[in-house]
Amino acid sequence: MAADGGSSSLQLPCVFSPKSRQFLALCAQDGRLRIWNTDSKTLHQEYVPSAHLSATCTCIAWGPCRTVKEGPQRKKRKSEAVQVEEKADLLAMGTAAGTVLIYSTAKGALHCTLDGAHSGGVNCVQWHPEESLLYSGSDDTNIVEWDLQTGKTRSKWKADRAAVTSLCVSPDGKLLLSAGHIIKMWDLDTKEVYRKFTGHSTAVTTLRFATTRPPDSNGLYFLSGAAHDRLLSVWQVREDGKDKNSVVSFTLTDEPQHIDLVTSNSKEEAVRLAVVCKDGQLHLFEHFLNGPCKKPLSPSCTVQMSDTKESPMPIPLLAAVLGADTRTVMLAYGSHLQPVMEKVVSLLKETEIHDVKTPIVNAKSKVLVPGLPGHQAPLKGTSQGSEKRKKDTDTKEMSIAERLGEIDLSTISEKGASKGTASLQTDNFAVLLVQGLESNDASILNKVFQTRKDMVIKKTVARLPLSAVLPLVEEVTYTFVLSYRASLMVRWLKAVLMHHTSYLASLPDLVTQLGVLYHVIESRVKMFHKLTKLHGKLYLLMTQVSANICSAECEASFKSVFEDYSLTSQELSLSHKERMSLSSPHFCSYTPGSCEKSLHVVSKHLMTALRAPGDRFCKTELDFVLFSV
Amino acid sequence: MASFKPTKIQVYPKLGEKVTQDTLYWKNYKAPVQIKEFGAVTSIDFSPVTPHNFAVTAFTRIHIYGPFSQEPVKSFTRFKDTAYCGRFRSDGQLLVAGCEDSVVRLFDVSGKVALRLFKGHTKAVHLTDFTSDRYQILTGSDDYTCRLWDIPNATELTTYREHTDYIRCGVTSKLNRDLFITGSYDHTVKLFDARVEKSVITMDHGQPVESVLLYPSEGLLVSAGGRHVKVWDLLKGGQPLVSLKNHHKTVTSLALSSNGQRLLSASLDRHVKVYSTTNYKVVHNFDYAASILSLALAPDDESIVVGMTNSILSIKHRKNQEDSKEIAGQQRRRPSYRVFVKGKNYVPKQDDYLVSKPVKEHLAKYDKQLRRFNVSKALDTALETWIRFRKPEITMAVIKELDRRGTLKNALAGRDERGLSQLLNFLIGNFVDARFTPVLVTAAEMILDIYQSIIGQSPLVDRQLLRLQDLVEKELDYQKELLEVLGMLDTMFASSLPRKEVPCSGIGKLE
Repeated sequence: MAADGGSSSLQLPCVFSPKSRQFLALCAQDGRLRIWNTDSKTLHQEYVPSAHLSATCTCIAWGPCRTVKEGPQRKKRKSEAVQVEEKADLLAMGTAAGTVLIYSTAKGALHCTLDGAHSGGVNCVQWHPEESLLYSGSDDTNIVEWDLQTGKTRSKWKADRAAVTSLCVSPDGKLLLSAGHIIKMWDLDTKEVYRKFTGHSTAVTTLRFATTRPPDSNGLYFLSGAAHDRLLSVWQVREDGKDKNSVVSFTLTDEPQHIDLVTSNSKEEAVRLAVVCKDGQLHLFEHFLNGPCKKPLSPSCTVQMSDTKESPMPIPLLAAVLGADTRTVMLAYGSHLQPVMEKVVSLLKETEIHDVKTPIVNAKSKVLVPGLPGHQAPLKGTSQGSEKRKKDTDTKEMSIAERLGEIDLSTISEKGASKGTASLQTDNFAVLLVQGLESNDASILNKVFQTRKDMVIKKTVARLPLSAVLPLVEEVTYTFVLSYRASLMVRWLKAVLMHHTSYLASLPDLVTQLGVLYHVIESRVKMFHKLTKLHGKLYLLMTQVSANICSAECEASFKSVFEDYSLTSQELSLSHKERMSLSSPHFCSYTPGSCEKSLHVVSKHLMTALRAPGDRFCKTELDFVLFSV
Repeated sequence: MASFKPTKIQVYPKLGEKVTQDTLYWKNYKAPVQIKEFGAVTSIDFSPVTPHNFAVTAFTRIHIYGPFSQEPVKSFTRFKDTAYCGRFRSDGQLLVAGCEDSVVRLFDVSGKVALRLFKGHTKAVHLTDFTSDRYQILTGSDDYTCRLWDIPNATELTTYREHTDYIRCGVTSKLNRDLFITGSYDHTVKLFDARVEKSVITMDHGQPVESVLLYPSEGLLVSAGGRHVKVWDLLKGGQPLVSLKNHHKTVTSLALSSNGQRLLSASLDRHVKVYSTTNYKVVHNFDYAASILSLALAPDDESIVVGMTNSILSIKHRKNQEDSKEIAGQQRRRPSYRVFVKGKNYVPKQDDYLVSKPVKEHLAKYDKQLRRFNVSKALDTALETWIRFRKPEITMAVIKELDRRGTLKNALAGRDERGLSQLLNFLIGNFVDARFTPVLVTAAEMILDIYQSIIGQSPLVDRQLLRLQDLVEKELDYQKELLEVLGMLDTMFASSLPRKEVPCSGIGKLE
């Protein structure tokens, strides 16, 4: 039911590889793991777990960058050793079925499967930074320590009363943070609770160590973020145990989805933090961790991607990592199925909007997202045009109307012949119209009736179920009575009459059904005759006016030429002006330079000449006109 | 002496939505107060006792709001997971709520910690309610069972395993302590009797049932599920009475207005519809910003509370009748009013001799001008009223009157550029209105006849004439299309009519 919509939502795992940031591992809605190369922006590997639909991947973690010595299989291929040394290799994936899959990017295949220890779905996996150990937390409230040399569990202990939703191993490898609703810090040697931190009321989704200092120096900090929480809290692990409350908090616009931070090694070094929120915005923070700070900190920079149409639509960011130097940020955004990766420089400084070069994505490819309900338009791979970056753009949920606006109807209706192949048809509004008529939703109806494309109108009406025909006619009648927008409605009415003739004709009470409509139309067209006459009158007068205007222009530009002409023409024209109260067109026609403009004026002269056939000036005038042309 | 008859202003019927008693009633609410909750608002329940606080269940909390407070008066946060269906007991002292972790909790409204925990369900509990004797609790769960519990001992009394899918809604009878109704995702609504320990009536709704509602008389039952709202007659053994389909998405919540005359349904399509319970027609419609999950009406319809998926709670309070009236009265009565009414409201006594004074006829400005035969000035004043109030009816009436007198031409003639452009402005503004076209066409023709000779001298007038021409052209195109439609309709009427000797057109038949 939709009631669940607010409380929990699917977050698809999306992780950059450590150190070099060469790969982006993504698990999309279809359950496949895709690894993208961030340098070439191409798909590096794709892996389909055997149970990718039943046991979906819930979390991903890159193993520490290995040297080839580890792992018995790698030993044989010595030649690769130097090359592979710095690369991230292993990838741990936790699944909803309780297994952990270890995938090797070097091999491009599954390395091993760790199972048998969890009875609930795995919520988080974390690698030990030095030894080849892996920690996984699960819905069954346990934490399991896996030994990757043997592929067996080394230990398993109950961590919480509720599900373990997040884990983090300290940089020195001696401490482990785990969290359900309560954050616990474990000593990894003894597997005993070292500290407890309470304060979150919802499941903690993110845990990260912010400093690398030892715990006994009062300088160890970590941060946590929870579901439905728009604050990231920073906790200090103090020697004296007085660490009941969080020391610092960072404000976000939505629940955190992806976090990257550069840890600080000393007091003088600031922690840099990049947080991608669920609403698709990126927030950057910089803060010196040296004790409590009462006020929540706001981001030093906020980034929102948008496309470059006239009314820019926000594109959600998926993940962001900070570069080694202080100025670059690597971003991934767009669809999970085809993310766009981009390196951005000097984000903290600039405030202006700037264009970024188009990433290379096949423009023809369309990405269809499975499992999304409603009339989802095919997601264009965010590749048309160049991307624009805007600061602090408001984001809001798309309404049906906006989604409709996104559908590019023109392109589809043009190639209407190939409609059989298209998997999502967007060339008609039939479903929407029926919905609008059923619930009498003004905004939907407005949207539909604003269509100007005949093709769309025809198809919509043709696909309309019979039960909706009469309500549509009623709606049309209503707008006719109101008489605004009516001109658009005629097309709808015509389409209805054309496509549903037989149905309407078969109605026994047709006359009563359509009688009102008939009367409304009739009263409107009563004046047709008179109006047409009036239009004729206006037309005649206005053509003269426009002629006047253009001749006035001519007069201005050819004044000097005109003076060369003989007195007779001036006399003639003046006298004519007096008689016929027509002034400027005459001057114009006598100037030889204005031939191209004077043709229609000539016709008028002929007219005036004919109007007064007895006039003695007529002959000369006509002659003159012809001569000048 | 024949007196002057003032110009008759024709009253045109107002276009647009018809104003009924219901629209007036349901529109008489203030702008909504919006409160952001922590998650989707799944349930709202009003306390049956004054001051009618209401409990709002959203995410892991239940907040209790006072009738006018925008801050929660009280909140229950001791839930391990998402809470569901917080409901008050009939004395307003106790509150029961289900939870995703399958434990049902009973709270004292003034306390904080749960008084009783009812453990036994194996999955989330979405339905909780008190029976009418106040000592038992009904619960329904996602484990397909519904159970009755004893409050004093916190023990389970009976388990009913008749449903074959999640139980998401239900209601207990307020008149009989043994009767209760549950609605389930297996498409059925079942009426249970605790005395016979099984369901007595089963009604097939056809869609997963999201909400059920009993009429105060308890003879009728309303169920909502899918896009349908259905009304059942319980006294006839669950016979379907009406099926309503006025939403285009799932209907999630139902409510009755205080007098039982109106039924309200809220849906994911962001609408709340108000039905009359006599003919089950939609009489009013509310729009909201997001999909609606829960809806409740305060006693006497004092406020409408709606909870949405985007975790916003919207509260509309009824406008206070006395307040609005008082303000309106004050505005009308200025200080000079007392002097003005002096002696006017004197009620004559029995043997008073009444001397009647002829009532002085008050004429509008344009009528005064018309009486003096200043036709041009009359038209000017009429145009001024149009400019000031944007009500073309008066101006139209004056033009008509002038036309009737045959002096329209005089009135239109002899204008300078400003006067003419004003006139043309009026023409352009009201030309396409079908009610005014006949008169305005005549006027336009006259204007053209009169000012033909000076066309081309003023760019302003030229521009306006061009606009007028444009307008006429568009109107003609439009009417041409309309004529085509008329032709189509004629054909259709002709073919639908039974064959007769005399071929009669649709028009004749219509009249």
